[in-house]
Amino acid sequence: MTIQAITLADNKGLKISISERFDFSLHQQFRDSYLNYNDKGAEFTLDLSNTTYMDSSALGMILLLKDHADKLSGKLVISKPNDAINKILEIAQFHRLMPIEV
Amino acid sequence: MSLSSTKNNFKLALVVDDSPMQCRVLGVLLKEEGYRVFTANDGERGVAMYIKYKPDLVLMDINMPVMDGYEATRKIKSFSRTSLCPLIFITSMDSDQAFIESIDAGGDGILVRPFSPEVFKAKIKSIQRISDLYGQVKRLQQEQQQDAELAEQLMSGVIESRNYALDRIGIVKKAAALFSGDIQLTALGPNGDVNILLGDFTGHGLRSSIGAIPLAETFRAMTKKGFSLFEIITQVNRQLHNLLPPDLFLGAAFVTISSHDASANIFNAGLPDCYIYDQFGEIKHRILSSHPPMGVLPNLLDNSKPSVVVVGESDRIILISDGIVEARNDVGEMFEFERFEKATKQGVLAGNVSKSVLDAVNDFCQHMPQEDDISLIDIPCSGWQQTFTVSNVTKDTLINSRKQVTNAESPAWTWNLKLTGKRLALINPIPMAMNQIQDIEGNAEHWQSLFTILTELFVNSLDHGVLDLNSDLKDSPEGFVEYFSERDKRLQLLDSEFVDIQLDYFPFDLGGKLLVKISDSGEGFDYRKKQLARQTESHENMQLSGRGIELVKQLCQSIDYYDGGRAVEAAYVWSS
Repeated sequence: MTIQAITLADNKGLKISISERFDFSLHQQFRDSYLNYNDKGAEFTLDLSNTTYMDSSALGMILLLKDHADKLSGKLVISKPNDAINKILEIAQFHRLMPIEV
Repeated sequence: MSLSSTKNNFKLALVVDDSPMQCRVLGVLLKEEGYRVFTANDGERGVAMYIKYKPDLVLMDINMPVMDGYEATRKIKSFSRTSLCPLIFITSMDSDQAFIESIDAGGDGILVRPFSPEVFKAKIKSIQRISDLYGQVKRLQQEQQQDAELAEQLMSGVIESRNYALDRIGIVKKAAALFSGDIQLTALGPNGDVNILLGDFTGHGLRSSIGAIPLAETFRAMTKKGFSLFEIITQVNRQLHNLLPPDLFLGAAFVTISSHDASANIFNAGLPDCYIYDQFGEIKHRILSSHPPMGVLPNLLDNSKPSVVVVGESDRIILISDGIVEARNDVGEMFEFERFEKATKQGVLAGNVSKSVLDAVNDFCQHMPQEDDISLIDIPCSGWQQTFTVSNVTKDTLINSRKQVTNAESPAWTWNLKLTGKRLALINPIPMAMNQIQDIEGNAEHWQSLFTILTELFVNSLDHGVLDLNSDLKDSPEGFVEYFSERDKRLQLLDSEFVDIQLDYFPFDLGGKLLVKISDSGEGFDYRKKQLARQTESHENMQLSGRGIELVKQLCQSIDYYDGGRAVEAAYVWSS
């Protein structure tokens, strides 16, 4: 299982964890993981602590998740990317769009 | 168009069996299913019939004289690699061995006698269903391939073949898919500046190509009209945001290399570091990504602007997309920046950056399949100076033609724009002025010179008049950068200050004259002293500043300052 989505206690948000490769092949699975989570003000956490590779379509998928969170007046936080992944996020200047917790 | 070979609405079946009796029985069942049937009594004839009739289905016995069923099947399958003609073995050999060998030989199924007519027909139906699906996939794949080829043709033919100075700017492009998500554009501005873009659209293939054409159009049209790099970036970002879905965007580096300022403007939005190398292969500057990729946000973030970098004559600007540094070898290691920088250094010293980097990447990856597009742009920092020459002969004919026209006292048209305060900080009036001229008088080569005149005079009024910046600052590389940061600061504070531009157009029999009048709210300057100082300077002394006005003098018939240096009037004359 490369994508795991866990609803946090008290329905406070959704934590999506991705292991190994985060690329275009996960497109549908990734969308499905959050599309039915529609609580107002929801906080989405994208846990990248076990992600080893990410390509530019993954960046696009993150933006789609952010769109979803914005529509719910919610929030998206990226959590614990490794150095290589963080470098990619940095090049794309994603820290100016959403908080990244190292 | 229908996909499978429904020749005359019949499907063709080939039955290969050495027993005429078996052939007849199977033939009857197949006819009931709507097939036309051909038969062959040994493997070799079977292969020959297959080649001749290209059937939609083959039924094959195993034990036959001359050539057995396995051998015949291998031959048939070697002819039909691109289309799936299902082949079923019909046999009484009820053994695992027979089953395994028939599939190994290329059979798509096996039917063991005895079987009822119903089971036979069901088998035929199921195998035909799979074959239809295969045909459908094949057709879709071909359509996709054709679309991709069309896009590829468009990209290289329409977009990239129109690039400027391909002989001087080194461009490497190695697409991962047939159609690359990377795009490389170069275009010449009206004042001799060259704009360069390296972009990397999300993903590969056709999907990543949809933004390429509008991007190229905007980049070219705005460069040609003389918009600044910042204005182009602002527009590209807005356009891609409006046009593309949220998960599709463009990592891009934009560069303007200036023809007479010895400087470059560089903006990196989502690409790996841009480099400036000196002639010894040492890295002088890195320009890091400072903005999310183009199209992510509706508007550029506040305070985002291109970096101004002073470049030496033998420096090179190198742009890359992430495909180079992320290229992998057979043990999964990435090429990384260290290897790239080393290969670039060797390339600079050897005078061929593109080749050196590409060779190093190929050596490293060996025969590993390429995962991402690989692109690089190598820009030399010298050789862009445009030489404006006005021949004396032309000048003479002009003056003569002017004498003949004595009634040209009042202009044919006048255009005027006065920008005040905030608007002055935000709006670039030069493209508007050029648009006016071209709308009324049409396109002409010599408007390039006029663009230079307008730009230089306007910038002088704004920078030295309104903003009171001292151009001596620009004499040193450090001061050069300081100059631009101070300029930005002062622009923010504009309130009631203004610059007024007026154009008066006088048509002649053999050409015309344009009077450019620019005045500003500044303190003015002692233009007589300035002129004197300039005359005593050696012509060999190539300074970083002050060359603009010299250029204007060369291009204009006359240039006069008045109102204490707060107003300038330049006359540009041309012959047609």
